Amino acid sequence: MDLELKNINVKLGDKNIIQDISLAVAKGEFVGIIGPNGSGKSTLLRTIYRIIQPNSGMILLDGQNLKDVKLSESAKKMGVVGQFNSVNFDFTVLDMVMMGRTPHKSLLGSDTPADYAIAMESIEKVGMEKHANRSFSTLSGGEKQRIILARALTQQPQLLILDEPTNHLDIKYQLQILSIVKSLGISVLAALHDLSLAAMYCHRLYVLKEGNVITSGIPNEILTPKLVRDVYEIECDIQKNPATGYLSITYYPTCRHA
Amino acid sequence: MTQLKQRLSIEYDAVIQKNHVFLLLLTGLSIFALLSMLLAVGLGTVKIPPDIAYKIIAYKLFHLNIDNVMSQVSPAYMDIIWQIRLPRVILSAVVGAGLAMCGTVMQASVQNPLAEPYILGISAGASLGATFSILIGSASGLFFGLGTAFWAFIGALGASFFVLVLSGIGGRMSTVKMVLSGSIASALFIALSNLLIYISNDAEGIRSVTFWNMGSLAAAKWDNLMLPIVGITLCCLFFLFQSRTLNTLLLGEEAAITLGINLTKIRRIYMIITALITGLIVSVCGIFGFVGLVIPHVVRGLIGSDHKRLMPATILIGAIFLTWADVLARIILKSGELPIGIITALVGAPFFMYILFKQSFDFGNK
Repeated sequence: MDLELKNINVKLGDKNIIQDISLAVAKGEFVGIIGPNGSGKSTLLRTIYRIIQPNSGMILLDGQNLKDVKLSESAKKMGVVGQFNSVNFDFTVLDMVMMGRTPHKSLLGSDTPADYAIAMESIEKVGMEKHANRSFSTLSGGEKQRIILARALTQQPQLLILDEPTNHLDIKYQLQILSIVKSLGISVLAALHDLSLAAMYCHRLYVLKEGNVITSGIPNEILTPKLVRDVYEIECDIQKNPATGYLSITYYPTCRHA
Repeated sequence: MTQLKQRLSIEYDAVIQKNHVFLLLLTGLSIFALLSMLLAVGLGTVKIPPDIAYKIIAYKLFHLNIDNVMSQVSPAYMDIIWQIRLPRVILSAVVGAGLAMCGTVMQASVQNPLAEPYILGISAGASLGATFSILIGSASGLFFGLGTAFWAFIGALGASFFVLVLSGIGGRMSTVKMVLSGSIASALFIALSNLLIYISNDAEGIRSVTFWNMGSLAAAKWDNLMLPIVGITLCCLFFLFQSRTLNTLLLGEEAAITLGINLTKIRRIYMIITALITGLIVSVCGIFGFVGLVIPHVVRGLIGSDHKRLMPATILIGAIFLTWADVLARIILKSGELPIGIITALVGAPFFMYILFKQSFDFGNK
């Protein structure tokens, strides 16, 4: 599954949130979007997963203009883990994850053992199998996040959109979730806060600031102290750790507190 | 891997088991609903021995002349059972089912646990439409049988639209804004329909103000029964097959869209259908509240939020509840009967309060 954005513009009210962004995710590629709060990461993702209509530009999913694809069809190909997962009504974890089968089911189709197998496998993947019968509302923020990921996996998508998927998670589950997602080998587009994690998991990164793509490329090549200063207005030191082979980013305290 | 398979089969067996238990429960509820209706026919101000009542029904339905009932029973009893009580009991069951279903659907489609035709002012809109049709329509002779129900539907639709737009002003629809908009709609439409009645200067009409505002099933007759029965049954069937979509709607707008639900379209369709049911109900029995609030909540508490179970159970329990509420309305006073709206409000208002406190004013609008 490949995704391509061509010259997307999004206006909310009078404000230009996304300005002329073009972006591509190739089949099986893990692509990250980084940028400070308010840079338009979420808005861009929400445009892709069809909550917001772009004011101009085109989104192509496997070469097909998303505008011409039915919502129920695109939901079979695109799974989403969004930021807002509060629910006013209660469900069990298994019921919640089973809803991932919705786009694959006709109105009268009943849930088959195969559907349950897919759901249970997803629950297993996020390490929540002991909690399958608990009620969703009793879970912690991180557990909820993992269940929402399990629901998205149950859609059997070929493209996963993640909006800060590691938001409420401790480090173990941050690593775990990103590893699970990467091990699936499907296309992934994720907005990430943590630059080290982004560098560790993403094949390519897009850097957003004020609704524009500042730069894009392979993490090791584009993540420099200068870029971080330009985008986040902080000072840092970036080294490739010879022991681990990963980028190690050390931030300096901002002047006021130093 | 074998472990996973094992666990899978255990989970799936549990699901099958749960479904069997639930089917039993549904069968039990259906039987109880039918029994309730039969019992309800035997109860009322005029004491008619139940066995006579059933013999009359058996005679009318199947022409079974048990114990030569036709020659034994006075024609007055016959009329009370066949012309008054039976239509009324059927109407109460159908209306109860319809209101409970409306509440369930509205709560899911706006993700708001307090949505219900009465609280959101949809019933008041329907009542305005019905009043308009009766006063204007009977004067001009334009509308026949369908007229009142049709105008009630238009009124309900208008009110739904009004409330949705009003509660959407200034960003996200919140529960609080929605309930406030409902109060506004209610106050406005009831005032308007009362105004219509008073300026029409029609003594009969003025008497019927009470009827509209507190609701009554007393108007049930065989010839005004068919429309609600057919309409509500069809809508029930429709929504029984919508459980998957309804479940997804409960997850919130964003999640529903990412699971492939065309929210705008679905909401519009549901709004029209719930307005249709509300219109049908209000045009035969006026406004009464809280059935659509209480029943879905109680049932959800008992069997969970999954609409596959919730929908059929709410429909049946709604029917049972209103059947008994109407029996109470008929027999509680020696001198006459109570408007059923008083009973549903006496049950519903404390319940409304309980929900508010239980959620401690946190409506999940985080």
